Amino acid sequence: MEPATPDLGRLLQPSPLEPLGHTDAGLEAVVDEDAEGVRDEDVPGDQTMTENNFWLKKIEISVSEAEKRTGRNAMNMQETYTAYLIETRSVEHIDGPSVLTDSLWRRYSEFELLRNYLLVYYPHVVVPPLPEKRAEFVWHKLSADNMDPDFVERRRIGLENFLLRIASHPILCRDKIFYLFLTQEGNWKETVYETGFQLKADSRLKALNATFRVKNPDKRFTELKHYSDELQSVISHLLRVRARVADRLYGVYKVHGNYGRVFREGKGKKHQCVIAFLHAPYWGPGPQLSEWSAIEKEMGDGLQSAGHHMDVYASSIDDILEDEEHYADQLKEYLFYAEALRAVCRKHELMQYDLEMAAQDLASKKQQCEELATGTVRTFSLKGMTTKLFGQETPEQREARIKVLEEQISEGEQQLKSKNLEGREFVKNAWADIERFKEQKNRDLKEALISYAVMQISMCKKGIQVWTNAKECFSKM
Amino acid sequence: MSGGLPKALPSTGPHSLRDMPHPLAGSSSEEAVGGDSTPSPDLLLARSFADKDLILPNGGTPAGTSSPASSSSLLNRLQLDDDLDGETRDLFVTVDDPKKHVCTMETYITYRITTKSTRVEFDLPEYSVRRRYQDFDWLRNKLEESQPTHLIPPLPEKFVVKGVVDRFSEEFVETRRKALDKFLKRITDHPVLSFNEHFNVFLTAKDLNAHKKQGMALLTRMGESVKHVTGGYKLRSRPLEFAAIGEYLDTFALKLGTIDRIAQRIIKEEIEYLVELREYGPVYSTWSALEGELAEPLEGVSACIGNCSTALEELTDDMTEDFLPVLREYVLYSDSMKNVLKKRDQVQAEYEAKLEAVALRKEDRPKVPADVEKCQDRMECFNADLKADMERWQNNKRQDFRQLLMGMADKNIQYYEKCLTAWESIIPLLQERQEAK
Repeated sequence: MEPATPDLGRLLQPSPLEPLGHTDAGLEAVVDEDAEGVRDEDVPGDQTMTENNFWLKKIEISVSEAEKRTGRNAMNMQETYTAYLIETRSVEHIDGPSVLTDSLWRRYSEFELLRNYLLVYYPHVVVPPLPEKRAEFVWHKLSADNMDPDFVERRRIGLENFLLRIASHPILCRDKIFYLFLTQEGNWKETVYETGFQLKADSRLKALNATFRVKNPDKRFTELKHYSDELQSVISHLLRVRARVADRLYGVYKVHGNYGRVFREGKGKKHQCVIAFLHAPYWGPGPQLSEWSAIEKEMGDGLQSAGHHMDVYASSIDDILEDEEHYADQLKEYLFYAEALRAVCRKHELMQYDLEMAAQDLASKKQQCEELATGTVRTFSLKGMTTKLFGQETPEQREARIKVLEEQISEGEQQLKSKNLEGREFVKNAWADIERFKEQKNRDLKEALISYAVMQISMCKKGIQVWTNAKECFSKM
Repeated sequence: MSGGLPKALPSTGPHSLRDMPHPLAGSSSEEAVGGDSTPSPDLLLARSFADKDLILPNGGTPAGTSSPASSSSLLNRLQLDDDLDGETRDLFVTVDDPKKHVCTMETYITYRITTKSTRVEFDLPEYSVRRRYQDFDWLRNKLEESQPTHLIPPLPEKFVVKGVVDRFSEEFVETRRKALDKFLKRITDHPVLSFNEHFNVFLTAKDLNAHKKQGMALLTRMGESVKHVTGGYKLRSRPLEFAAIGEYLDTFALKLGTIDRIAQRIIKEEIEYLVELREYGPVYSTWSALEGELAEPLEGVSACIGNCSTALEELTDDMTEDFLPVLREYVLYSDSMKNVLKKRDQVQAEYEAKLEAVALRKEDRPKVPADVEKCQDRMECFNADLKADMERWQNNKRQDFRQLLMGMADKNIQYYEKCLTAWESIIPLLQERQEAK
């Protein structure tokens, strides 16, 4: 079932698990004009805009401000944290004005709570990741401090991106808790806890166990998990090296600033005195020394203006690297997405393992039943042992046991059936979302690479410009 | 540069080698030689050598045995270096074709020196000899001895201290070759030095070692006299113009030192940047292997970064080979110039001291004793030579630095152009939409 407009198709399907979907399901993300990094989620959005009339309103989401706050935490101790202002605007019709409908402040931990909730309730979805909690992959000029304004600014953008990703996801956008996150400032945390999602969460231990013991997982998921491991490893490596490259490039540019200083020094006092002497009439007949001092002056002028260009060169690196940080952030998002992919795979493994265990349990019960019925003891059992030691049980006892087993078997068969169905549904839905994710990833990363190439081109052009100017100054020496 | 040759300054003393007639000089100097006095014994001595011993068994092969270049292309190459103002050059010298020689005792490099000249001092129109570094060193020492009033160009450093440098690596040999070529060209350009006998021997003798052993003391009169100036006299004060030159040289040397340090630092940073880039590019390749649709774009980025890395390597190599050595050369140059200034001071000091001694004797003799006159001549000649050379040096320095810095700018421009090409070529690849599955 591949609809022509995939998003549309998925929007019309109910999500398999408890949908707390908002009936007012017209949440359509439009990237705020000011937001950096125009995302291609616009494209499916645009399609739905024009093709689907029953979306009553469109909503624009932006994380527009960040503010330092102090407050008291759970242990009644003073703490400093950053709060982010989330503004939601609704747009009546396509080109109409947007009206501010909601505005509230959230801190990072609340974003985390939202995400954890979504992970539990939508295990078949590749849930968008949050921007990093702590600054990693820093190079020396960047600060690792969470309170550093640059970090806060990049995090603000990352959080906005997170919300936009959710809002443009065909399934997640309909979630009520998400809607409340945007609209209900007070009491939202309590509402989330009330859903009891924490109880539904699979324990890590359980998941780990399943990973090792599952016998027959869907091959595609095994491959996907392998892929996400590799992806995580390669992007980490890339980010680390990129940080070092940025560091070194910074050094190269800044050192050129020394030329600027030295070239301009020629205008110092001492130099002027020397030129004055050389100008003096003592020089006597012969080639005029005004020539000498003229040469010195021309050389000095040429050098000085070249020095200015060297300064320009040295300071140009700051903007260049700032732009590059944005590229690094785009890569980081997909680094973290790898974890989200793995989470879906793990869920599959868990369900599959559960299924296998249930099947195994059923099989052993059936066998037990059969043995009891026919009286043969094929497998070792405690009952068999005690029978040998203490004598056989009575036929009534045996009957009772068979009856219990038969009940259990019938129950087990029901359970197995539903588990099987669940499992297949999960695989189907998860794989559909994974396909969606793959396309998004390819689109986004291509865009990222293009913008990176554009950045490099701009850097090269600036370099050519500066050195051409400097060359001209040198030629006037 | 305003005039080609420094004008012959009036001098009352005996003529120095400098006054030997230049083939292209006007008739005035010829008259000066012929008219005023008989040629000095030194000149005769020089002449006789020129007639007898320099007719060496050069064989009939003027341009040497292993010359791949024809004479005309050689001439063209040499003429490209001609930057003097319209002056007809009659002496061309080139250093090329380094070769390694392995002997039992040692291994060393020789360079081919090709000379083309129409000057009468040269018996043949073309010469081709092979010389090694220590021959250049010998030449420079001889020039310093015999022409103490002139600025002798510097040689590249004898020993290389920086780390473990391979004396026989292509880069090192090429850098040295260029510096040696520059050295000889500077001498060639000098109106006095280029006529020096030692220079002639260096360019033409088949067996230079034989000459070295003969211990030809081809010192000019001036050389002799300056050599004997004792260092005991203290100069009261340097004349303003020389003081200014001295100060200028100090400032210049300082500045050069700074620029050299900055250049080295930049190269170091660039090399470290290069190291990281060499690791960075391949990671995109590794990633590409994991992907489907993204494989080509990622591989493209990897290749692009590889190209930029290569371009950067070329830049750092060029800077190391072409830029730094020239800076160092000028540091050596200004050092040797300061020594010449000091020698000049010595000469002046001696003159002043002797003059004072005469004045103190309170004699009525109006005539100044001969030896004091000699001192005065010495001093005046020295001053004249030095001023002329400084003027020439200043012009050459300007050209050299202009060329050097423009070259540096050029290399950086080329580097960025290579990178730009690489990145621009990849954009279409990145934008390519793959066929839907």
